[in-house]
This record gives sequence, C-alpha cells and structure tokens, in this order.
Amino acid sequence: MAQPLEDLEGDIFLEAPPRPRRGKKCFAALTIGAVVLAWSFHGAKIRAGELVQGIPQIGQTLARMLPPDFSKITEAKHYYFPENLSWRELLLPASLSEADARAKSRWWDNTFPQTVMGATLETIQMAMAGTFLALLVAFPLGFFAARNTTPHPLVYQGVRLVLNLVRTIPDLALGLLFVAAVGLGAFAGTIALAIHTATVLGKLLSESVENIDEGVVEAIRATGAGYSQILSFAVLPQILPDLISFTLYRFETNIRAASVLGLIGAGGIGYLMNTSFRTFQYQEAAAIVLVLIGLVMLVDYLSSRLRNLVV
Amino acid sequence: MTILEIRGLQTSYNRSVPVLRGINLTVRQGDFVGVIGQSGSGKSTLLRSINRLIDVDGGSIIAPASLFDGRTGPAVDILQLSNSELRQVRRRIGMIFQQFNIVHRLSVINNVLSGGLGYQPAWRSTLRIFSREERRRALINLKRVGLLDHAYERADQLSGGEQQRVAIARTLMQEPAIILADEPVSSLDPKLSRVVLDILKRVCREDGITAMVSLHTLDLTREYADRVVGLKEGQIVFEGATEELTDSIVDAVYGPSD
Repeated sequence: MAQPLEDLEGDIFLEAPPRPRRGKKCFAALTIGAVVLAWSFHGAKIRAGELVQGIPQIGQTLARMLPPDFSKITEAKHYYFPENLSWRELLLPASLSEADARAKSRWWDNTFPQTVMGATLETIQMAMAGTFLALLVAFPLGFFAARNTTPHPLVYQGVRLVLNLVRTIPDLALGLLFVAAVGLGAFAGTIALAIHTATVLGKLLSESVENIDEGVVEAIRATGAGYSQILSFAVLPQILPDLISFTLYRFETNIRAASVLGLIGAGGIGYLMNTSFRTFQYQEAAAIVLVLIGLVMLVDYLSSRLRNLVV
Repeated sequence: MTILEIRGLQTSYNRSVPVLRGINLTVRQGDFVGVIGQSGSGKSTLLRSINRLIDVDGGSIIAPASLFDGRTGPAVDILQLSNSELRQVRRRIGMIFQQFNIVHRLSVINNVLSGGLGYQPAWRSTLRIFSREERRRALINLKRVGLLDHAYERADQLSGGEQQRVAIARTLMQEPAIILADEPVSSLDPKLSRVVLDILKRVCREDGITAMVSLHTLDLTREYADRVVGLKEGQIVFEGATEELTDSIVDAVYGPSD
C-alpha cells in the first residue's frame, strides 16, 4: 500500500538530526558587516551628489585631451637625434670618431629614455628585469615558506615573517628609498619592483607548493631520493603551471607599477605623463596614456598566448 | 633465506590511537606475499613502516646487510638507521601505490628515470641530466612492462593501468630487493588488475624480488599470492601458505570485530 507523500516527508524531518540553528549568529554577522561597510563609506567620503555635479568637469578635462597629440612620438625633432650621425651609425654598432661615439652614447643613455618611445621601452625593460630578479629570489623562498618542503619549521616561520613584513611596504615607498640610495632613474625603480614582486611571488608559490599531491612526493621519497631530487621530480612539475601563470601575471602588474614609479623619478613612462599633466599639456598626456593602454593590452595578449603555449 | 624479520612492531595515529599492535612476521626471500584485511586493519601502515615512510613507535625490522649495496656483516634494524643509511635501504625497497603516484607533467621515461634517484649524484639528477646508460636501463624496464612505445609521451596521456605499469618500471630502476605494493590494483577494473598483477609477478620472479602486496579481493589473493598475511585491528590473525587460507580463516579476518 502506497503511503501518501506528505506522511513520508513528515517522517523524514523527525528522523533527521535537528537542523543546526544559526539564525542569531548569521544576523549578528550581517549587522556587523553592514556597520563596517557604512563606516567605510563614511570614511571614504562617498558622496554621490558631488560625483554627479562633477561629471561636466570630467567631460571638460576629457575634451581638453582630444584629439590626442602624437607629435612627440611621431615627429623626429622630439627625438633630438645627434646631427652628424646617420641612422645606421646610431642604431648599429659602428666604428666612430671619439666625439661621435660620445654623442651616440649620450643620446642612448640620456636623450632617448626621455622621449615617449624611449620611456615606454624603459618601462618594459624595468618590468622584465624586475620580474626576473624577483623570480630568482622567490623561487627558493617559495619552498622554504611552504609547510611541506621547508627544511626546518624555524626557516618556515622566519621566511613567512620576512615575506609578510616586506610585502606590506608599497612599491612606491620602496622606490623612494632606492631613489635616495642609488639616485633617480630606472635602476631604483627596478629594484623596488623586484623586491615587492619577490615577496608576492614567494607567498603565492609557497601556497602552490602546499597544495601539491603529496602521494607523488611519497613515491619519490620511497626511491631513496634526497631533498633537492624530491623538489625537482615531485614538487616542481606540479607547481610549474602556477609558477608560469604567477610570473606572467606579475609581469603585467609590473608594467603598470613601473609606469607609476615614474612619478617619483624612478624611471619609466610615468614621469613624462606626470609632466604633461602638470604643465597642462592634456592632448600630449592623452597620447601617452593611449601608448600605455596599448602597451598593457599587448603585454596581456602576449602573456596569455605564452601561457597557453607552455602550460 | 629470511629477508625481513619483523618483531613487536607498533605504530599509532598521533601517538594516541594504536594502529599496529605488535606485529611479528618473517618474510622469506622471493616470496610473493599477499596482505589482506578490512579497511583500517593496518595494511598500508605495515607496508609503510618497512621503508619508514611513517614513524614507528616501537619494535624492530631486521634485514640482512646485503640490503645495502655490496655490504657484508651482521643484519641491520631498519628502524635504527640514520637518515643517510635509510636512503640507502630505501633505494633497495620499491613501492607501488593505489593512486600510482607518477608525475603527470613529466614524460613517461622521466618518471621511470626518477626511480634511480637514490643512486645518482644529487646535483646532476636534480637538473634531470641522465647518462646514456641510465636512459638505456629505463627503456629496457619500460619494455619489460610493455610500454616502450610510450616512452616520450607525457605520463597523464596514459590510462590508469598503463600508469601503474610505469610505476612498476620506475620501481625496477631501483634494482629492488623488496617491492611493497599498497593496493596496487584497487583503482583498476578486474581485467586490468590481472594485466598489472601478471606483470608485477613476472618481474618479481625474473629478478628474484620479494613482494608484499596488499589486495582488496580474495580472488586475486588466491590467484597471485604464495603466502598470505591476514591483518585484523592491527594484529596478525593468519600467516601461512595460500592453500591454507580456508573459508573459516577468511571469516575470522573479515568477520565482525569482538
């Protein structure tokens, strides 16, 4: 005889363990969350009215940026090419008189990096060099800061502490520090990027290492392999996709960061952009912003292609 | 000849919940020993104690000094070895796992080569540089498990049964005296199980390797094992030739506790 469905459902609620009551806790958590958010909005001085009133201002500024003025990029006179050198002599290695050689190196070292093209290339170079240096440091640190591969618990705690402390320093602050130490220019910015990136990569890698399949580690350990061999055969192959993804992602981030570092004179395109804005050359600034957007998009695209290729 | 003499072996989970409660077992060289018992009876723990992948609370595991390469002299207690001595013993003890535990992102031949890590200088093998002789042996061992054609494929391209055969080839690179196999075919269907166990048994016979294999079915145990160890709640309740494994003994091994 078939039982009515309602009876069965009634039974099953009585049979099941009592439903956990979390209503009060849930309500309290939501209230606290709402209060904290309201406090944040107040502190951040969010006033929708002012934003709406300001919209025409934004429009005016944008209008002043149009059309973008690309003359600094396209016109030869803004590159201040040394007069008595041919294209060939300037771009390729050539034997030159002493005065010409000096003019050539002066142009490459001092003049070119201050042009938009030169500063853009410098930004890329800073991001690449900074990311690579960071990877060199972060690679071993990632293993030391992972619970399952650290040589000693004290090393684990120590490296984690240092990574966390240094990571709290903004790269702009690091940039100021190194501008003071090694002077204005790309070197200061690159070191600042490298240090900040090393702490971020080290942390991300350590988490990746902690998530690996321990069964493989056990299998390699059972062959009588030592520490470095276990890392090479059991750990590295498993974290390789993450390693590549994280590094490429940080490279993209560093392009942006390197552009900002220019503001404090630590090299890169940010300095030129800032100068244009400060001197009210909005159309020129717009051109630089567009170059920067193009660069970031290109790097995004290339790195995602690269990621698909290797991962 | 005795290859393992286990006496009073005790282990626990977190030093509070006992797992093995005093195991006494003698394993003769060349035997293919099936280890049976319910889940949680201590099969995995017993196998992992022998190469010390887990920490042991007490007892002794005596093995002949020949388990070290070319050594003579009195027998050694595996539980008393220093770290470097332990690595030397580990490389003569192969291990096969239920989940295969091969490295998916490495090529098949690199997985096989990793079995010889214990014999190779650390700096060179860490960089995955291998000699021609090592690669030759790896290919021979791949041929023995019937996977020579797949040598340069990525390991995750292979099926489960094939991955377990790669694991066997990896173990053979260790030139093992003993193979410990922890549920080697529990993730495989019955047909593939027999393919894998056939290969395992054949290479053990050819190389004179002693095997301790935990198996999840009685059929396979009766078919492949020379001797059987029955574990129940961390103690041995049966140890003898496979023919002596009667139904009443099976009931005792798998039956309700208390």
